[in-house]
Amino acid sequence: MSVLDGIAIVGVAETAIGKLPGRSAISLQSDAGVAAVAAAGLDKGDIDGVFSFSGYSQSMMLHAARVAEHLGLRPELAVVTDVGGPGTHHTALLNVAAAIDAGMCTTALCAYGENGISIRRSGRGRAPGTLTGGEDFEAPYGQIAMISGYALFAQRHMHLHGTTSEQLGAVAVTSRYHASLNDNAHKREPITLAAHQASPMISSPLRRLDCSLISDAGGAFVVTSVDRARSLGVRYARVLGYGAATTHHIGSQAPDLHELGGPVAAARAFDRSGLTAADADAVYIHDACTFSVVAGVEALGLCGEGEGGPYVESGVLALGSACPVNLHGGMLSHGHAGGVFHLLDAVRQLQGTAGRRQVDGAEVMVVHGNGGVFSTFSTMILGRDG
Amino acid sequence: MTGKPRPDLADAATAPGSDPAGTTMTGKPRPDLADAATAPYWEATARHELVLPRCDGCGLVFFPPRDLCPGCWNRDLSWQPMSGGGTVWTFTEVHVAFYDDTWADDVPYVVAVVELDEGPRLLSNIVDPDMERLSIGDRVEATFEDRGEGLSLPMFRVVE
Repeated sequence: MSVLDGIAIVGVAETAIGKLPGRSAISLQSDAGVAAVAAAGLDKGDIDGVFSFSGYSQSMMLHAARVAEHLGLRPELAVVTDVGGPGTHHTALLNVAAAIDAGMCTTALCAYGENGISIRRSGRGRAPGTLTGGEDFEAPYGQIAMISGYALFAQRHMHLHGTTSEQLGAVAVTSRYHASLNDNAHKREPITLAAHQASPMISSPLRRLDCSLISDAGGAFVVTSVDRARSLGVRYARVLGYGAATTHHIGSQAPDLHELGGPVAAARAFDRSGLTAADADAVYIHDACTFSVVAGVEALGLCGEGEGGPYVESGVLALGSACPVNLHGGMLSHGHAGGVFHLLDAVRQLQGTAGRRQVDGAEVMVVHGNGGVFSTFSTMILGRDG
Repeated sequence: MTGKPRPDLADAATAPGSDPAGTTMTGKPRPDLADAATAPYWEATARHELVLPRCDGCGLVFFPPRDLCPGCWNRDLSWQPMSGGGTVWTFTEVHVAFYDDTWADDVPYVVAVVELDEGPRLLSNIVDPDMERLSIGDRVEATFEDRGEGLSLPMFRVVE
């Protein structure tokens, strides 16, 4: 028995995604929050906890208190979690579960997002490279963009396992296909493998179409107790298993590919749920770049170690296969504002509200991925209820 | 940050219509040479020597430098000269000057993780790379780039 057994995700929402000039991060995060509360059939007076993260493009002190103030809330707890990637949202759920168990909260708003495009114009944005702990020993070498950190691992995977740029391209093409089924996606025009191969090199071996987007967007979800969720009359998602792993911070201190935390986090989550990857009706992998999906399908055990390249190339990522990946379009195509949208779409699948990208009879979703430069990993398994 | 703080005049919720200047940043990023735990490392690189901390207790040689051994938490450390030899563990050729024009004159440049012969891995640049031939596993040797004001960065060059 875990405190996570007692919580339910009852509402999810996202703002428009793309270039939204003049929209502050707080307004995007808060707007998503208001919409998520409405989606849950609740209203402002029901929210007595705020959990959030500012995102890295504009780090803010006491961010959750800022969101609470913006929305006119005075909760007992206003908590920031920053674990990186999906871990940030997963640990928020862990915090909410503990808070509900302790009687400190009944219904929490969890709000995320960034204005990663538009913040730069204000002169307040920060390059993520200055936040990754490499100020002294990496940034002076021009290692200032997250994508270069991922490129180092993609290059090594290619060297050790023969993974190809075309295989990475298959991830990009499928992501865009899924985004074409999602009216709110940032990039919806389908792309071809040839377009991927023709896109300019950014940080070898990663091309522009290997890189996730930068978007202005907000996303939020509302969490309450399972008992309360049942009384709301809405479909909701429950946490079936959760696991994480942390191995390092800066890129040069990473262990080798086979020792990264992905498989460990996934195994912990599956063990705690009593499920395996074969039970997943879809998986959502934090796709900072196409290679993240290659690493992710290996970590989740959907294929063997080093076999991620041929796996993603075989067509099994797409809607209609036994275990499609990133049905909303991922950060490669749907939008990148901190990575909360994977969790939101997994919940939609379980609520049966995913529209043209809905998996029929979806019962089990897996949300997995990393923060930093494969520094922290988090895997959460969600199930349908209500 | 220079000058007194200014509100975000581009925030549509407070004052639509204006378009202040973008981010400013001058010069390449520099390490904090005044950090007591890492200063001996940078003092050595300024002499074009590469030294890493070695734990007097368990013998671990580690990077980056810090004031305790990450293996056993011992605080008795010595500075051990490195041979300067190593291998390319992985690399990327950066083609884009990210965020601003700080690196515009450098692209494309090679960022690599080098595994020193003594074991630790560190991130650096490969100078004068032959991109047709550069490969993981290539042997490299240390060289140094002076960045002024007492800073020299250890970098690596492929050796045949």
